[in-house]
Amino acid sequence: MVMQPSWSLHLLSEILAAFSTEDPENLRNVVNRVAESVEAEVAAILSDGTIRFCIGMTGDERQQLESLASSRPPQITIGAGRLNSYWAPLGEGNLLVVGRLGDTFDVEERSLLRAMARSIELSLRMLEAISAERQARLDASYQACHDALTDLPNRLLVLERLCRWTQQPPDDGACGTAVLFIDIDRFKWVNDAHGHAAGDELLVHVSRILQRSVRRDDLVGRLSGDEFIVITRTRKPEAASELAQRIITAIRRPIHVAGTELSHSASVGICLAQPGDTASLLIENADMAMYRAKALGRGRYALFQPSMREEARNRLALEEALRHAVGNGEIVCHLQPIVRLVDRQLVGFEALARWKHPQQGLLAPTAFIAAAEDSGLIEGIDLWMMEAACRALGRWQQLPGLEHLRLSVNLSARTLSAADLVQRIEPILAASGIAPSQLFLEITETSLVEDIQSTTSTIQGLRHLGLKLAIDDFGTGYSSLLYLKRFPVGLLKIDQSFVADLGSDPEDEAIAQAIVSLAGALGVSVVAEGVETETQEARLLELGSDYAQGHLYGPGLEIEATERLLIEPALPRSEPGPSLKAIDRS
Amino acid sequence: MDEPQSWVRVGSSTLDDSDRALEEALDQLRLEHTPRLLIVLAAPRYPLEGLADELQQRVPGCEVIGCSTSGEIAPAGALTHALVLWALGGTEVRVSTGWGESREQGLRQAAAQAASCVERLERRKHTVMVLLSDGLGGDQMEVVRGAYDASGIDVPLVGGCAGDYLAMRQTRQLHGQRVMSGAVVAAAISSDRPLGVGVSHGWTPVSEPMLVTDSRDTVLRSLDDRPALEVYLEFFQPPQEVRDNPQAFADFAATHPIGLRRRDRIEMRHITGFDADSGSLLMIAEVPQGGLAFLTEGDFDSVLGAAAQSTEAAVAALEGTPPVGLLLFDCVSRRSVFSEARVQEETDLIAQCSGGIPMAGFYTYGEIARTRGSGGFHNQTLVTLAIG
Repeated sequence: MVMQPSWSLHLLSEILAAFSTEDPENLRNVVNRVAESVEAEVAAILSDGTIRFCIGMTGDERQQLESLASSRPPQITIGAGRLNSYWAPLGEGNLLVVGRLGDTFDVEERSLLRAMARSIELSLRMLEAISAERQARLDASYQACHDALTDLPNRLLVLERLCRWTQQPPDDGACGTAVLFIDIDRFKWVNDAHGHAAGDELLVHVSRILQRSVRRDDLVGRLSGDEFIVITRTRKPEAASELAQRIITAIRRPIHVAGTELSHSASVGICLAQPGDTASLLIENADMAMYRAKALGRGRYALFQPSMREEARNRLALEEALRHAVGNGEIVCHLQPIVRLVDRQLVGFEALARWKHPQQGLLAPTAFIAAAEDSGLIEGIDLWMMEAACRALGRWQQLPGLEHLRLSVNLSARTLSAADLVQRIEPILAASGIAPSQLFLEITETSLVEDIQSTTSTIQGLRHLGLKLAIDDFGTGYSSLLYLKRFPVGLLKIDQSFVADLGSDPEDEAIAQAIVSLAGALGVSVVAEGVETETQEARLLELGSDYAQGHLYGPGLEIEATERLLIEPALPRSEPGPSLKAIDRS
Repeated sequence: MDEPQSWVRVGSSTLDDSDRALEEALDQLRLEHTPRLLIVLAAPRYPLEGLADELQQRVPGCEVIGCSTSGEIAPAGALTHALVLWALGGTEVRVSTGWGESREQGLRQAAAQAASCVERLERRKHTVMVLLSDGLGGDQMEVVRGAYDASGIDVPLVGGCAGDYLAMRQTRQLHGQRVMSGAVVAAAISSDRPLGVGVSHGWTPVSEPMLVTDSRDTVLRSLDDRPALEVYLEFFQPPQEVRDNPQAFADFAATHPIGLRRRDRIEMRHITGFDADSGSLLMIAEVPQGGLAFLTEGDFDSVLGAAAQSTEAAVAALEGTPPVGLLLFDCVSRRSVFSEARVQEETDLIAQCSGGIPMAGFYTYGEIARTRGSGGFHNQTLVTLAIG
């Protein structure tokens, strides 16, 4: 004979067992359990007339039930059904209500529903306390792996997820994992020019674009600064390139930041995961590909190739060697003479950096300037060159007949964008005694135009010092007339690529002619560079160019050699003036 | 010929080739009108993706749901490794379908998402929700709760858990051309003609009632504070092989399920296996801690009798309207009680009780039937949906 214990006892036992202090959400299960145990169609917990948990009711029906909380009728209508109801008070302002089709709740069920009210009441309070504590814990753990500004997963979480993805083969037919490394081009100048608030706004804007560009299962994260990451499962490798292009196009759209319309772009490096790749290697590879995208001209994407690793190693080795060279005094200043075309009279020099490599001999700038720019060494090199050349020229200007000598020094885009450039040039000028009007800062038009927003204030500072700009390689880039008017440009240089074919290529001649005419109209001098033959010289004279430099007039020489071969012979012989040897060379 | 107010057609095949099997099943449907709903019940050997693509071409404009099975039922009786199509149509019938995946949102939310198709349904006088879920995907009580959250008290729920012929590795669910695992698919059916549901199992408690002292989700750890496995083996004293061999245990457990005390009935819970280390029984759905459980046994006659009760109850719920078709969700373990030699007796009895109307169904890893209250997940049970 099977014993049949009291149903009510069992009911109480089953429902009380559903209470859990570990899982406050379990209160919802308690409501389910109550309803399932007494076979009720609906059950709800109400706090101050508002439903906290319920089952079996749609939105409208919930409202209807809430409106009955004060009258607590013995029957309620839910949907097409008229239910017998029982309302059990749960302490202050709280109610448990159950509704059942058919049978009413008998006295045993009613007394048990009331008996469990105290437990539910305690659970409600516990739920509130635990929920607050749990939320605090969740918040803390969320903050530990999310970026506070953009709310994106941070490096920690990105690495963790990527690690998991690389260890688990895709189960949805995707062929692999692709990592996209996204870097905002020239982000630094947004910060410098518009302030950090504007930079932050741009970062948030880009993070939203990335989130909108990817699928639900993809991961977008922020590694640091302006570096973002997208991890995506792809069915075909081209999908990653298409995604990169979509991202680039979306980011390129101008936005309004700090009251101005900001045009910006991003470079993207893509790395497709291979079996055995670790998470950090994938990010490193994608970073290298991004670097290539930047080198190719920014605002584009590049796919990682194993050869990039070799190139990166070489680049690092070069940077290391260059760092050593700078410290070791292997970077030397050469001065190339600039002459007046009509009479070949020496008017000044352009300072050119050379690397006196212990093994490879004298290296031209093309061999190391890119590495110097990437590593940031260029700022030091540029300013050291300026100091050395200014010091020499300052001495020479004190010699009779050489007061007119002027100097051109090159400034890279990176040096030009340094916020404290003006403050660093001022003491160089003061120490050398060189007149600011005789110092030309040579910059490429590309760096000037591309960074026009960031460099404007620096250039205005240079103008206040009395310095002028020489536009290097004019005609090869934007040839924008805007900056010629806007900035203190004193000199245009005709690029040697146009000079080379003078006399044979009508197009190059036309460009050279146009530059000379433009300079004439603006009252700016013209220097042709790379002049090697007398034919070129004759043609430049005909075109009306003012000055020239090139092998025809002499190569770049170290300061001492320049002094010996060009300065000393230029001193007037008839009247003994201060000789070079008498000038302080310290 | 004018389309009837409601109609059901069934086609089936046991051909090895999937394309030819579908061809044969479609031929047997002899469709004169586009069905509102097509339910695909396919043994795991038939690729659901291919079937779905082909059906899209062959029967356009029709809602399609389906799942993998552990045995199939067609008018000819119980089948194995078969493909069965159950087509429902009629001028008074309306259908909407939905799906939800549990992987990220959990079973309850997945079921609620699938069942929310009822919101798009053109409601007629009678409505029922058919649910097909993944019995290996977690506590199936959550499927009922989620579907109930979305459908409310006016819509009965029926359905079953997809099977994989007791391999217990993976089951699949189909919605349109989407094939999933760990998912819930649903079809809300509304008709001006009645729809009836019947539920019965025929198992009887053989043990004293025991308090479920430790149970969480689908793991039943202890009964009356003793390891559940120990209690179970001690009571039934099965042959040694059942203690040593997981397959033998599963076969034995199929006919010796756990019964749960409900208000006015015993609800069955199927045991899928055991964990010898913890002494736990592994269940297809939660055995609520604090509840009262029995060990049960099914004898051939009582379990067979339940088939008649379930069918008759479903037909009776039509209140005099003659049924045009049946959809059956029959627990795979009931088939074990009957044994392959006598399994046809159950389907013959169902056919006899319903007057030989078109019927189809499958052997499930769990059954759903909510007509009253808010619960309604069953095991070892036959759930019958009669279409009036």
